[in-house]
Amino acid sequence: MEAYLQQLPQQLINGLTIGGVYALIAIGYTMVYGILFMLNFAHGEIYMIGGFAGWWVLHLLSVNSRPIMNAALIISLMIIAAMAVSGILGVLVERLAYRPLRQAPRINLLLSALGVSIFLQNLVLNFQGAKPRFFHVTALVPKHIRVIQVGDVVFSFMRILVIAVSFLLMAVLSYMIKKTKTGKAMRATAQDIEAATFMGIDTDRIIVYVFLIGSALGGAAGTLVGLLFTQVDYYVGFQAGLKGFTAAVLGGIGNISGAMLGGIILGLTEALATTFFPSEYKDIVSFTILIIVLIFRPWGLMGEKIPEKV
Amino acid sequence: MTLQATRRNRFLGSAAVLLALFLLPYVMPNDYWLRIYGITGIYVMLSLGLNVVAGFAGLLDLAYVAFFGIGGYTFALLSSNQFNIHLPFLIVLPIAALLTMAFGFALGTTSIRLSGDYLAIVTLAFAQVFKLLLINLDRPVNITGGVNGIYNFDAINIFGMKIVSPESYAYLIWFSALIVIIGCFRLKDSRYGRGWNAIREDELAAKVLGVNATWMKLKAFAGGAFIAGGAGALFASFQDSVFPNNFDFPQLVIVYCMVILGGLGNILGVVLGAILLSILPEFLREYGAYRMMFYGLILIILMALRPQGLLGAIGFLSRTKKRPDKDETGVLRASTDLYYEAAPESECKGSENGKYCKGNRVALEIKGVSMSFGGITAVNDLDFCLFEREILSIIGPNGAGKSTVFNLISGIYRPERGSVLYNGSEIAGLKPHQVLKAGIARTFQNLRLFNKMTVLDNAKVAQFHRTKTGPLSILLHLPRYKKEEEECERYAREILGLFGKRLTGYRLEQEATSLSYANRRRLEMARALSTKARVLMLDEPSAGMNPQETSEVTDFIKELRDKYGYTILLIEHKLNLVRRISDRVLVLDYGRKIAEGSYDEVAGNTQVIEAYLGRKGR
Repeated sequence: MEAYLQQLPQQLINGLTIGGVYALIAIGYTMVYGILFMLNFAHGEIYMIGGFAGWWVLHLLSVNSRPIMNAALIISLMIIAAMAVSGILGVLVERLAYRPLRQAPRINLLLSALGVSIFLQNLVLNFQGAKPRFFHVTALVPKHIRVIQVGDVVFSFMRILVIAVSFLLMAVLSYMIKKTKTGKAMRATAQDIEAATFMGIDTDRIIVYVFLIGSALGGAAGTLVGLLFTQVDYYVGFQAGLKGFTAAVLGGIGNISGAMLGGIILGLTEALATTFFPSEYKDIVSFTILIIVLIFRPWGLMGEKIPEKV
Repeated sequence: MTLQATRRNRFLGSAAVLLALFLLPYVMPNDYWLRIYGITGIYVMLSLGLNVVAGFAGLLDLAYVAFFGIGGYTFALLSSNQFNIHLPFLIVLPIAALLTMAFGFALGTTSIRLSGDYLAIVTLAFAQVFKLLLINLDRPVNITGGVNGIYNFDAINIFGMKIVSPESYAYLIWFSALIVIIGCFRLKDSRYGRGWNAIREDELAAKVLGVNATWMKLKAFAGGAFIAGGAGALFASFQDSVFPNNFDFPQLVIVYCMVILGGLGNILGVVLGAILLSILPEFLREYGAYRMMFYGLILIILMALRPQGLLGAIGFLSRTKKRPDKDETGVLRASTDLYYEAAPESECKGSENGKYCKGNRVALEIKGVSMSFGGITAVNDLDFCLFEREILSIIGPNGAGKSTVFNLISGIYRPERGSVLYNGSEIAGLKPHQVLKAGIARTFQNLRLFNKMTVLDNAKVAQFHRTKTGPLSILLHLPRYKKEEEECERYAREILGLFGKRLTGYRLEQEATSLSYANRRRLEMARALSTKARVLMLDEPSAGMNPQETSEVTDFIKELRDKYGYTILLIEHKLNLVRRISDRVLVLDYGRKIAEGSYDEVAGNTQVIEAYLGRKGR
């Protein structure tokens, strides 16, 4: 027990790091679900491709694993590139695979999303190969701040960076949703897409924004995870997508602050679970959470239970 | 003549298929192709099993591949050196299938109440847990062999016949596949098939018509798992090894592609889809790396352009379509014959004493029922009685709570307070199909027919709760099944006959969606009548009808009471209709009863006038 308590602050930091990433992924699911009531199966792949975009920037801007310019600049460029690539990809997917099915039964939309997911995953497999790509990040961070020690707790600079960036992005998004005109239009569209159209909101455009923002945040998460765990491969999207979805469901799907909260709770739970279970079982723990939440409280922690209208 | 011809065609078709299955292993150029042939048979079974879950019942089950895996690993553990258990194949196969079915059942019970996407995700999570367990259960005790899997199984020995060569496997696999194909056809054409079809089309309507949706979905899950488990055992033996990767997500996607390419629910289509997608990659082997990409594209393109699959709507395989405006000899019908012909020809049984006499026994009693939705009280402390063989009309302005009353009685909502007694026993809180079984049927204001089902099948589904044949009788076509099917068909035709020729003749085989609006209203009533319930709740039966049709429907409802002894609760806005047939009228406003009595009493009531027209002098 004592050993466990000693580990606690460390695990909290770990949980917060990965929780921030889950939250970023979850936002993409929840925003799309909030408006279209569809599960964007391809979101995990968009996250993965964001990771690859970050890797390419780093790769092109380093020689012999050494960065050729200011590290802060490279990291910013990586995140921006990831967000741009993923955002555009998300919009493309919406335009090509989902919009033609707007009026179709939901099962068709879901199957189409499944198709997009498989397609993107194997596209990357064919062009990047099955071997993971490594982020050579050691040279990016100056030696004296690579590891930071506070009392007994040791954590890496990258963790701080990931926490800071993910929380910053979430803050920006919250501001946008609450205060800007586009944010207001998004909330209106999520409540009632038809009524929003009647009020003069171009809902097709709002849907494009939603895919753009959600996918961009997913892409940022992909690069952050790359920086943190120093690798990315074509298969990471599947697991991460499921985790992100779990977080979204946990918080109440359709609810953006819920997704953020859900991500952080899921991250913390996983981190704490690793102190009790062997780490191979970490994923089993989070899928079990998903199953339990869906079965007993499918509307999540912050979602509303909506009775079926007859 | 035509019947004989179809019989002959069917016989010739079956003979050709059997001959082909017998000869094909001989014409395969080499062992490699023989193995492809065998694998194709396994995929046929696997796709058909998935078709039961996703095609028949419309459930997006992403754990399906785990069932395949459970079957495979069960075989692996029971006939190998892993635990030194060596059971004969004829015992292992049923164990694998039944055990997998049990897992399917268990998974179903936990996740079945979720719909659509949620179900997909929960089952996907289950599949992931399954795969992670396969990979990790090699320590501390080696059960699954981890990523290295299990291999070297006992040879299959069926009554002394050793199945070792690819030829013998080909025969064994395709023999099983044939059984699965026949079983699927029989299932589709039974009460099970109709029940699933109804759930897929409109779950609420199916429930209200007496289909126990939860139970039927569970059965679909279990049935699909059964087939997958059996296929898994065969696959394990055929491959002589099992690895976690055999039962992973890409495999699931392949099977989904097969089912969707063929057309969800279309058995022949699915078989062809499975064959096509098993063989095609062999010709495209040099592009093997792009195989999964190609599957992804298939899904996207099919969903966008042809969601019904390749064979989805091709005429020669689906029911032969008749021109609605022509009779059998090809002569055009005069439409007037159809529309203005007189009353029913057939006598319906079930009238209790021939002539109408209003009973004095209470059939349905509502006591102090209340229901609110987020602060708005839709029904407030409502009391009323419905006597046997009486027509009680509920009227009131829009939003008065009339439809909510129907929903409360039929079990769609559970009343917050109060009780609903039918023949003296409580039915509040029962599920919709239980309410129907108790003897109360209803129609919907905004038609909820099973649009893609034929008129006849719509009427047959309504008998689901009264028919009892189980899966064994259906699969083996036992006499019990045949008798019940005939009776079901006869009764459906009899009820449809009550509406003259409007729902019979060539229309029996038409899809409900192709009927005219008035005929769809009639079918909605016919469907409720087919349930043999004694109490009918009709929600605006004449909505959208012209005066001629309204008058006809009014007579029909009256006849239901006078001639056949039905007890009827009616919601209606057309006061003419209400005046002509109601024994009593109940007026609701803001969820409260404001008047009750004969039409004239109610029509003179000041409160009623105020509710409808507003107060004077405001």
